[in-house]
Amino acid sequence: MSGLRRMAARWRGAGFAAVLLAILIAVNLLLNPARFHPAAWGALIGLAAPLIGAAVASAPVILAGRGGIDISVGPLMGFVNAMVIQVLFLRLGMSSPLFIVPAALLIGAIVGAANGFLATIVRIQPIVATLGTYLILTGMTLTILPAPIGPAPGWLKAMAGPWSALPLALIFLFWWLVRQTPYYDQLMAVGSDDRAAYTAGVPVTKVRFIAYVMTGILAACAGLMLTALIGSADPNIGPSYTLIAIAAVALGGVSLAGGRGGLAGAAIGAVDIFLLQSVLTAFNVSTYVLQIAYGAILVVAVIMTALQERLSGRKG
Amino acid sequence: MSRNWFQSTNARVAGAFAVAVALHVLGTLLIPGYSQPFAIRALLVIASLLAVASIGQTLVVILGGIDLSIPFIIGFANVVAAQLYGDGWNFVFVCAAVVALAILIGALNGLISRGLDIHPLIVTLGTGMIVQGAVLLWTGGFPSGSAPAAVSAFVSIGGSVGPLPVPGLVPCVAVLTLLVALVLARTPYGRRLYALGSNPGAAPLALIDPVRMWTVTYAASAFFAAAAGVLLLGFTGSAYGDVGQPYLFQTIAAVVVGGAALVGGRGSYFGTIAGVLVLTEINTLLIGLGFRPSTVQAALGLVIVLLVSLYGRERHVSATI
Amino acid sequence: MADRASLSVRGLVIAPGASPMTQTIAPGEIVGLAGLDGHGQERFLKVLAGLERPAGGEVTVEAPTGARAITNFRKAVAGGIAYLPRDRRTTGIFPTQSVLDNFAVSTLSRDMRFGLLSFAARRQRYESYRDRLSIIAPRPDAPITTLSGGNQQKVLLARALALEPAILLLNDPTRGVDVATRHVLYDVFRGLAADGMALVILSSEIEEILLLCHRVLVFREQQVAAEITGDAMKSDTVIAAMFGRAA
Repeated sequence: MSGLRRMAARWRGAGFAAVLLAILIAVNLLLNPARFHPAAWGALIGLAAPLIGAAVASAPVILAGRGGIDISVGPLMGFVNAMVIQVLFLRLGMSSPLFIVPAALLIGAIVGAANGFLATIVRIQPIVATLGTYLILTGMTLTILPAPIGPAPGWLKAMAGPWSALPLALIFLFWWLVRQTPYYDQLMAVGSDDRAAYTAGVPVTKVRFIAYVMTGILAACAGLMLTALIGSADPNIGPSYTLIAIAAVALGGVSLAGGRGGLAGAAIGAVDIFLLQSVLTAFNVSTYVLQIAYGAILVVAVIMTALQERLSGRKG
Repeated sequence: MSRNWFQSTNARVAGAFAVAVALHVLGTLLIPGYSQPFAIRALLVIASLLAVASIGQTLVVILGGIDLSIPFIIGFANVVAAQLYGDGWNFVFVCAAVVALAILIGALNGLISRGLDIHPLIVTLGTGMIVQGAVLLWTGGFPSGSAPAAVSAFVSIGGSVGPLPVPGLVPCVAVLTLLVALVLARTPYGRRLYALGSNPGAAPLALIDPVRMWTVTYAASAFFAAAAGVLLLGFTGSAYGDVGQPYLFQTIAAVVVGGAALVGGRGSYFGTIAGVLVLTEINTLLIGLGFRPSTVQAALGLVIVLLVSLYGRERHVSATI
Repeated sequence: MADRASLSVRGLVIAPGASPMTQTIAPGEIVGLAGLDGHGQERFLKVLAGLERPAGGEVTVEAPTGARAITNFRKAVAGGIAYLPRDRRTTGIFPTQSVLDNFAVSTLSRDMRFGLLSFAARRQRYESYRDRLSIIAPRPDAPITTLSGGNQQKVLLARALALEPAILLLNDPTRGVDVATRHVLYDVFRGLAADGMALVILSSEIEEILLLCHRVLVFREQQVAAEITGDAMKSDTVIAAMFGRAA
């Protein structure tokens, strides 16, 4: 119990999600030792990677505050998936990771910059701006890829198993580096109180714009991980990640009001959702029950987080 | 001067109506038969259905919230109404049961969001998922049943009421529009709704109970979503759990194209109606021009961004200090 | 105006460990609250308004019709208390709403005719307060943010007076208000007291309190350090009490 408590203390930002993570790991180990045998961890990480990627990608703009949100993360993943397979690999015959990875990240950066332009410079409310790009990206994806198609380049498919830990590790290394820079402090300052940050000389617009670009790049990473997992291109999978990713972020203790939480919390939230799915699958319940459980856990988790904050706020 | 004009709410609404009319003129010029009576009837019926589904979104957006559970409540009402009616229930009881459950779900949305200060995006998404899962579980994924003939006639594109060449739905929505506008402008509830959305911090000192307002408003949103679900049952003829899905983004788009600000305190139902007409016109026009649904969707996204950047811009942070 | 009433405070402790206070604020009286920031005067005012719970003791409104305990804001308003908040922007105005909306929001039921709000009734009510407070607003249906700070404050005062209170609690009412408007407000406050209203004014400016009030309560360390009346009401006496020195 004290170990659990220490773990919870370490991830105070994630709060309830961290406790839930410990419980879910324990339950999964009890229910399904074979599936959760250390030898199978590689495959498990591969399965969870796109959701973790999507959640982590959604976090920077939410941290930037004032209604910052990017609901185009899922469609962007789908768009990257379609572009990589249908256009770059099959049509242009490019298969080298040295070309595909930078190209995918560039697409992500461009879409992120477009969202950032609309949300911070044109100053359209972020949910409306990214709803626009959501529709545009979904439409474009279906235009270049009306039906699922395969295969993916060999190296990319190989990233599905244990190797999927590599991009995740790189993402966290990237975020760790960001945290060492003054930009991180500016981001959190803008997220918690943009007026105060502006008065203190923080370039609020620029900070938020960069957050959108980061979200775009991270969403492109998630798109590559999705491509690795499904080993093909499918126009219908990407958009389904949007809302579940935002749910994972909220579950992970990232405040939708901005300025509180981090990428680790978002990742924990995503892992929670993935493990929950495993538990329910182990019980052999239908996907319908799975859906109910998703919703229930989400609501219960945010309620618990809110209550916990209230109690700790009263103590403090 | 022109900047001020663009920023006034009435100008936004007028602008959105003008865009809808322009789109219709364009459609008439480009597509033969675009203004044929049947085409206009179809357009009005489709717009009316969206208008009903968007009432709730308008109210919660004025409040400074958002309701993602609308499509799930629509699907819930659609499937449950068909199933119960198919089981031999009297349709009046069916509607009463569906509406009562919907109101309960909506009230919970508002109560949890405001009472515990959790972002309504997450709460309504969560309850929406629970509702959808429960409906799927109950029907095993294969809903059955249909609507009574009266409901189908009420929304049928070929229908008519008395001398009017449109089905009953269209004049009813017109009356409903006036009623909603009246409630917003001329009742204490309406004035409190705007005040609370405008400045939640000042509302309690003006004797406004935020939790109560949120509970009532989200309950109203769920009520109209349920109504849209039952009407869609009559429109499509058979139950379908995902029938509400297009309404998730369309209701939000209609509200913002109509000039409401998602930060609360602004917006009107006339604006939403204008937004509904713009969306319906774009859809009809592009499909009529032979574009594929995927292209239509992309174009819709573009139009939303363009229109909102024209008149829905937020203030720079330096202007809020 | 509603019936006259007095505000009675018995054994009130606003923070644990502070000594209890007992006060009666009579109809027609203007009582000032002074003290260094954070020494309890604002908390005291909020307890009177039912916005914060005291650590002990009770607040009651004593009207000819009976006594009423103040335990929350709604009861305070029902008991004839009106409260004007300190920070106009965060707890006062509704920025997207018109001057008329901002004026009428606390008293919507008074404009009801045949089940709907009557704009004519609302306007008529507003105009009587506009004249009394000399509010300068070219168009009452324009957003309140088009008015100057002083005029916004007058609209908020009109909102509070529209409740027809017997007791008016003012939290630094002239903060960020120009000098000309201040004197208009002072005259209004004096007029209200002359009509039998009880007023409690918290102010960060001692001169203002000395100019307006019949008596002043000086707060120090969450309790009343001095109660000053009559000839003793001079700025050095008040300042000495604020800093905890004998005058």
